[in-house]
Amino acid sequence: MKNKRLLIITTIICLALLVAALPVFSACGPKEKTLKVGIMTPTTGVAAEKGVPLRDANLDCIEYINNELGGVNGYKIKALNLDSQYKADQAVANIKKFMDDGYLFFTTSSSTEMGYVQAIANRAGFPGLVAYSSPSNYHPPEHIYGQMPDYGDDWSAFAEYYVKNIWQGTGKPKMALHLLNNPTGAGAKNAAKALADKLGIEIVDIEEHAATTQSETESLVRIKAKNPDVLYISSTPKPTAQIIKNAVELGMFPGITIGVCHAAMTKALVDLAGADIAEGVYGVFPTVSWGEDVPAMAKMTEYCQKLHPKDYGNMDYVAAWAQSLVIAEILKKALDNVGYDKLAKGDAKAWEAIEKYGFQKLDSYNVGGLQSPVSYTAGDNRLGKSLRIFQVKSGKITAITSWQEAPLIKYEEFDWYGK
Amino acid sequence: MSLPCGIRNYTYARDMTILRTRTHWALFTGLLALLLTAPLYLGNYWLGVGNLIGITLIAALGLNILVGYCGQLSIGHAGFIAVGAYTSAILTNRFELPFLIGLISAGITAGIIGIIFGLPSVRVKGFYLAITTIAAQFIIIWVINHWGLTGGFEGINVPYASIGGLVFDNDAKQFYLIMVIAALGVFFAKNLARTKIGRAFIAIRDNDLAAEVMGVNLLYYKLLAFFIGCFFAGIAGALLAHWTGTLSAEQFSFTESILYVGMIIIGGLGTTLGPILGVVFIRILQQLLTVEVVPWLEGTFTMFPAGFASGVAPMFFGLVIVLFLILEPRGLAHRWALLKAAYRLWPFSY
Repeated sequence: MKNKRLLIITTIICLALLVAALPVFSACGPKEKTLKVGIMTPTTGVAAEKGVPLRDANLDCIEYINNELGGVNGYKIKALNLDSQYKADQAVANIKKFMDDGYLFFTTSSSTEMGYVQAIANRAGFPGLVAYSSPSNYHPPEHIYGQMPDYGDDWSAFAEYYVKNIWQGTGKPKMALHLLNNPTGAGAKNAAKALADKLGIEIVDIEEHAATTQSETESLVRIKAKNPDVLYISSTPKPTAQIIKNAVELGMFPGITIGVCHAAMTKALVDLAGADIAEGVYGVFPTVSWGEDVPAMAKMTEYCQKLHPKDYGNMDYVAAWAQSLVIAEILKKALDNVGYDKLAKGDAKAWEAIEKYGFQKLDSYNVGGLQSPVSYTAGDNRLGKSLRIFQVKSGKITAITSWQEAPLIKYEEFDWYGK
Repeated sequence: MSLPCGIRNYTYARDMTILRTRTHWALFTGLLALLLTAPLYLGNYWLGVGNLIGITLIAALGLNILVGYCGQLSIGHAGFIAVGAYTSAILTNRFELPFLIGLISAGITAGIIGIIFGLPSVRVKGFYLAITTIAAQFIIIWVINHWGLTGGFEGINVPYASIGGLVFDNDAKQFYLIMVIAALGVFFAKNLARTKIGRAFIAIRDNDLAAEVMGVNLLYYKLLAFFIGCFFAGIAGALLAHWTGTLSAEQFSFTESILYVGMIIIGGLGTTLGPILGVVFIRILQQLLTVEVVPWLEGTFTMFPAGFASGVAPMFFGLVIVLFLILEPRGLAHRWALLKAAYRLWPFSY
C-alpha cells in the first residue's frame, strides 16, 4: 500500500516535470540561420501519382539551390515537406504546424489542398503559393498566390485554340465538360460559364466524376447522345485516363476532339491510358516539356536522373522544380528588401514582410525558362499568366503553340460566382 | 464497476455517482487542470490536434451510442457530420444567423436526416442496415455537391464561431469551446447508458426479439438511437465547419466513415471511455506518423526508393488496426479495465 502511494506520487511528479520541461527541449541545440518554407504535397492518397513527383522535384531543386548556389543570399532554405494525404484535416494540421514553427510561407501542389487551408491562411495573413490553382483559391485576391494559370485559364486557352484552329464546321461548336468533383473541375466550369458565349461555344452537357472513379461509361453515353464536337476533361491523370479509355470503347474517340487541363496533361496520363489510346489528345500545360532548350533544363535533368530517375519525363516534376525556383526568388526579393532579421522570427510580421517585399515584388522573373515569367500585378494573384497547348504525339507530350497569355477573368463580378 | 478493496457505498445516490473515490476526484481534477491550462504550453499545431480530437470525439460518441449501445451498424457517419457542418455553414454564412442557432440546428437537422435513413432499421439489421447507411453517405454528398446553397464543388466559407460578443478566432479560444461541448457530450453519453433509454438500447443490441417481447418499442428506440447518434454527428460537423473555416464535400468521404467505425472498435464498443481512447489513439498516431516519423524516415533512409517513407505511414496505420482487432478486439477500454484490476490486486494475481 505504501509502495503504491509512493509509485503514484513519483509518477505524478515525473509527468509534471516532463510537461514543464517541454519548452526547454525545443529550445536546445544551436540554431542555424535558415529560411523556412513549408511544402505540402499529397504523397499518399488518391492524388499520390501527382504528389510524389511534385514532392521529389521541390526537394531536389531546394537541394540544388542549397548545395550548388549556396542557398539564397547565403542563407540555406529549410524546407519541411508534409504529406496532406489529400485530406482536409491533415492539410489543416499541416498548415498549423507551419504557422507554429515559424515558417515564412507555405506551398501546396493542388487547388484542393489549398482550398482546405486557404481560409485559415487568409485569416492569419500567412501567405501561400499554389502550383496548380483554381479561381476559387484567389478570387477575391487575398494572401494566396498562384504559381501558374489556373484551371479556368486552361479551359479558356483550350477553348480559344479549338475555335480558331481545330473547329471547321459551321455555327457554334458543341462542347461537353467532364469535371472532377472539386475545385479542379469547378474552375473549368466557372470559366465556361463566364466565356462560352463570348467564344461562340455551346456547352451541351456537364458531367462529374470522383477522383476514385473506375468507369465513366454511363456518363459518356449521356454525353454521346448530345453529339458533341469536343470533350473537355478537367481532372487528374487517373480519372482522365479512365474517361479517355471509356470514350475509345464507346467509339467516341478518335472522332471528337478531347482536351484536358494541366492537372492531367502529364506523363502519368500517357502511362495510365496507354500511348495508343491517348494519341491525339490535346491539353494545356503552363511549363515547358522535357528536353526543351531552356536555361534550367540541364540542371533539372541532372538532378532528376541522379535522385529520382522514375520521374524523368513527368511534367509535374518540371512544375515543382519551377515552384522551388520561384520560392527562392521570393526569398531573395524579401532578403534584398528587408534583410534576414525581419524574416528570422517567422511570425505575423515576417509573413507580412515576405508577402509585401517578396511575393509582391516579383517582376518578370524568368524561372529558368521552365514556365512563363512570373510577375505580380495588383488585383491579380496569378504570378504566371501564360501557357501552351500540347498534344500527345507518338506517346510524347509535344508543344504545338507558343506561350499564350490567359486574360484575367474577374469571377467575383459575376452574380452567380460563389453561389 | 469494481471498487478498490475496503470501499463501500452505503446509499443509492453514492452508488450511482460516476466519481466515487478520492483518487477518482484527484485524477479528474488533474485532467481538468491539464485541459484548462493546455493553451498555455501547447502551440497552435497541438491545439489544432486537440481541437480535431475534440470534434472527432463528439462524433465518435454519437456513433458509439448508435453502434456500441444499440447495435445499429452505421457506416455513413461522415455523411451525417456533413449535414451538420453544412447546416451551420449555410445558416451562419448565407443567412447570417448566430453561431448557437447554427450549432443547435446542425444537430437537429442531422438527427432528423438520421431518422429518415434509420427507418430501414425497423426491417433490416446488421450488414443490410450498413448498406443503407452507406447509401445515406453517398446521397448526402451528392446533394451537397449539386445544391447551389452549399457552394457545390467549390465549397463554402464559414465565419468564426461567436457567442455574444466573444469571437472564437484563434486555436486557444476554439479549444475551450470544443472541449466544453465534448465534455458535455461525454457526460450525456455516460448518463444515457445508465437510464431507461440506455438499457433499452443495450437490450436491443443483445437480442432485439427478446427486447421486443419484454416490451421495448423497437421502432421508437432504434429511431431514437439514430437521432441521438446523428445529433452528436451534427454538432461535431458544425464545430468542424467553424474550425476549418471552409467546407467542401471531399472532407466527408466514405473513408472517413470507416475511420470512425475503426476508432470506436479500437477504443471499445459499448463503453464511454472507448471512443475517448480510440479517438485520441488514432488521431495522435496519424499526426506522429505523418508529421514526425515520415520526414525522419525520408531524411535518414535515403537508400530506399522515392515514396517509400510516405507509404510506410498508411501501412503501419493499417497494421496497428489489424493487430488491435486480433489481439484486443474488445478495445483499449477493456485493456484499461484489466490494467486497473491488476493494479488494484497487485501483488496478488487474483
